[in-house]
Amino acid sequence: MSNTRSGLFLALFIAPLLASPLDGAQEARKQEEGSPLRYVISVELDSRGRRLFGKEEISWRNPTNDEIPDMWFHLYWNAFKNERSAMLEEFRTEGALERAGDGEGGWGYIDINRIALADGTDLTPTLEFMIPDWPAHPHDQTVARVRFPIPVGPGEEVRLQIEFESKIPRTISRSGYYRDSYFIAQWFPKPGVYEEGKGWNCHQYHMNSEFFADFADFAVEITVPAAFVVGASGKQKSAVSSADGKMVTYRFEQTRIHDFAWTADPAYIKVERNFQAAREVSEQEITELSARLGVPMEELRLPDVKMILLIKPEHKAQIERHFRALRTAIKYYGLWYGPYPYETVTMVDPPFRTGSGGMEYPTLFTAGTGVLRDNKVLSPEGVIIHEFGHSYWYGLVANNEFEEAWLDEGINTYTTGRVQDKAYGRGMFSASFSGWPLTWLVNLPRYFDFELNRLAAIMAVELDPIRTPSWLFSSRMSYAANVYMRAATCLNSLERYLGEALMLRVMRTFQMRWRYRHPRTQDFIEVVNEISGQDMSWFFEQLFFNTHNFDYGVSRLRSEEKRTLYAGVFDINGKKQEVKRADIDKARRQGREKDNQETVYVTNVTVRRFGEALLGGEARVKLRVVFEDGTEELRDWDGQDRWKSFEFEKPVPAKFAQVDPDLVWLIDSNLSNNSLKAKARRSGVIQLASRLLFWVQNVLHTLSALG
Amino acid sequence: MGPGKIFGQGLRITIQKRRLIAYLWTITFFFSLVVVAPFYFLFQSHLSRSLLGENFFLGTDLLWIGDLIYKYQEMPPLVIGWIGGTSLLFLVLSIFLKGGIIGRIAAGEEKVTFQSFFGDCGRYFGRFFRVFLISIIGYFLVLGLFGRLLSIPFRLWSKRASTEWTTLISSALRLLVLLLIFSIVKMFFDYVRVSLVSEDSRRAVRATVGNFRFLRSRFFKAWTLFLAVGLIFVLSTCVYLIGMKALPKAGLGPVIVFVWQQAYFLMRLWTGILLFATEYQFLTVHRPPTSSRVNSDSGPPWTGQGK
Repeated sequence: MSNTRSGLFLALFIAPLLASPLDGAQEARKQEEGSPLRYVISVELDSRGRRLFGKEEISWRNPTNDEIPDMWFHLYWNAFKNERSAMLEEFRTEGALERAGDGEGGWGYIDINRIALADGTDLTPTLEFMIPDWPAHPHDQTVARVRFPIPVGPGEEVRLQIEFESKIPRTISRSGYYRDSYFIAQWFPKPGVYEEGKGWNCHQYHMNSEFFADFADFAVEITVPAAFVVGASGKQKSAVSSADGKMVTYRFEQTRIHDFAWTADPAYIKVERNFQAAREVSEQEITELSARLGVPMEELRLPDVKMILLIKPEHKAQIERHFRALRTAIKYYGLWYGPYPYETVTMVDPPFRTGSGGMEYPTLFTAGTGVLRDNKVLSPEGVIIHEFGHSYWYGLVANNEFEEAWLDEGINTYTTGRVQDKAYGRGMFSASFSGWPLTWLVNLPRYFDFELNRLAAIMAVELDPIRTPSWLFSSRMSYAANVYMRAATCLNSLERYLGEALMLRVMRTFQMRWRYRHPRTQDFIEVVNEISGQDMSWFFEQLFFNTHNFDYGVSRLRSEEKRTLYAGVFDINGKKQEVKRADIDKARRQGREKDNQETVYVTNVTVRRFGEALLGGEARVKLRVVFEDGTEELRDWDGQDRWKSFEFEKPVPAKFAQVDPDLVWLIDSNLSNNSLKAKARRSGVIQLASRLLFWVQNVLHTLSALG
Repeated sequence: MGPGKIFGQGLRITIQKRRLIAYLWTITFFFSLVVVAPFYFLFQSHLSRSLLGENFFLGTDLLWIGDLIYKYQEMPPLVIGWIGGTSLLFLVLSIFLKGGIIGRIAAGEEKVTFQSFFGDCGRYFGRFFRVFLISIIGYFLVLGLFGRLLSIPFRLWSKRASTEWTTLISSALRLLVLLLIFSIVKMFFDYVRVSLVSEDSRRAVRATVGNFRFLRSRFFKAWTLFLAVGLIFVLSTCVYLIGMKALPKAGLGPVIVFVWQQAYFLMRLWTGILLFATEYQFLTVHRPPTSSRVNSDSGPPWTGQGK
């Protein structure tokens, strides 16, 4: 330990003692003011040894009516300690365990050297690892607890002082180092969330899961070698060089956030810009939105935000792309879901090979780009909008990502698509060969975000319910497809069903009502019901809590001339009378010739529920039948039975029948059966086949080079 | 005769033997139709009565792509089996056709007729198939083993990279080196085939060994010629891709696209014939055909030089 570090630690511990006359660790009186959770952390990076040395003071007030005998902590970096951690065992089961920790001392871990109450009572002997989750991974060390000498009563505060030492992992997941680049997340002992009557909600670090913590005030001092450029959550308050000039201590502070991440790299270029709300948002936009949302204009005005970009030199040419995307995100998330409440946002171009790209932390997120990027491909824009969006869904509305990941990932994927589509329109598919963009040569398809989401969503429907605890998904693919894409597609369907303005009100209400709190799925459903004025519980029951496939379609369409005569033997006036086919034809001809009678066609359409998912509430399947003369008929069906037939009498036969013509139910897994034409038309299929033919010709010709 | 003149001779041959392109295009086209037919009928049965099928005209759209993927998600093993099986069949067919291509190139001024083309296909199929079997070993040794060894320094370089540029350049160089090696192996066995026709020999192994001697002293000239023809393929591909970007999608667009695609494919076939024509020229210039070959055909070899 260097002298600088010792000095810092001394200052950290002495300062609170001098500041507070209370030397009792557990204050007997209730703390009515201030954040119930406060962190004061000092950490030093030992870049040669790949280690962190930290001291942490946690002040925690019991916000419940329970007597709490212990405290549970996350020690996330122990997930990188060995292959017996829950995370790496799950990776191995998935067949995705790479040898990330091998060589170069790549394993990572965190040791608590001492944990004590502020009065000096040593709690270290009571420290034990806990295995709260099932299926059990008994060797996992990512959750620990300490016992208090006496339980912490309602409203009482406890102060803990922790000394910890961590070995930084060579990147396995989200945190780590590569050469001189560091991305440091989930790095300090962090208490779980105490839930009244239930105890500590403190899950192990799993392959699929993200995080859950209480809002807190952070004051963090980070000491790094002077050459490093540092970025962190919150606002930088100071940067003080050590006496010999070799080290610099940065101080960051931020209130009302629930995590703290930082990064250090000598190669970063630091660029700062301001989001100037008055320049970015016009009065007209505010006026229009105010009318749509029914919210006073003053509530829609956005604050200015300081935008900080840490970018690698090789991506320097993309600085403006990064800022444009961030400005777009701040603007639309702010206008639609509520103003961004923090003064700063730090956007980090993730250090090369640290595996830290595309990840969110309070007031800081990592984007991700490459040296060769086509402007037609919306990357890094998509990832910037998405990760900034997590400031809202995860950052401010802080759901439990372990248990209900869709509440942030699904909602944020949905809102990302909205912002991206509004600002950029369709983006081109990204494809590369050996890292070189193929889009330079080939026009790949362009798509809206919701279209791509739907593609993944329909493939994942029967794998797991969306609202499955993260670590209990059947596979990593199922987790990603359900939590992100399927949830987003369902929300898109909800938007199409309720209407865009109403859905905006739902989302804004949910955001503003649950800021700085931990909502559950039921809380979201209640907001939907309240704002829409309908009971939409069926929607969530069918699509979020079950694996029901949504598929309505047209199974039959038939038009034929209406007949007055029918073949067969009939009892007429007590006698059997046979009507022959020839009689029918004759009568038909005569009818036409004599009366110039207009032919009437009877069109029969059968609409079918192919999937298990049922519509409910006021929702109906809309059927549209278009006839040869261009007229059309509309019908509704409640969609409860397996099928329903509709009959129409018109002077012309039907051209086609279509359910859900407005594509409200985007979640429908089979759109091709949503319509049925009276006559087959092959031209589209021929075109598709001709494309395939060309590719086959070329593949075969290439193959012939070997022969 | 220098590579430029040989290249010119090759061009002249391909123009004279243009009927070869017609045969090859017809055969490949109909073979591809057979490969595609099951998919066509599948799409037709599922999509021809759906409004979604009309969206195919409007360009690629993830909604219908999604539907296709969802609908046929159980089919990949069947599709892979079908494509794999037909590809193997085509590989054998291409060995057969090469006999016709090289045979007709070697037939001098003689016209390419249906009968003579397929006569040569059948005549050389056995020996070309043996060359194919030997070439598998060659490809395995050179690309499989040597290629892997050659990849090691690139991988090490990439592993130690400090920026993404290193990995990009490393992978591009690795790919380029592998392509060049592939071109050498392909060229080598092309010359084996050409020499079998030129010498009218049935001894594939002997021709392979003899080819080492032939190319040893002329390697760079032969390779330059090969790469020059390869460059035509690369350039034509670029032209095709640029053209595709500019073509309309609506109205007559699909028809124009189809014609453009087939024009490109014809270009590919032509390049393939040009490759054999230049190789045959190069071989006959540096190693004149034996009398047996000359006597077996009514016409003289393309040039009397070297006789």
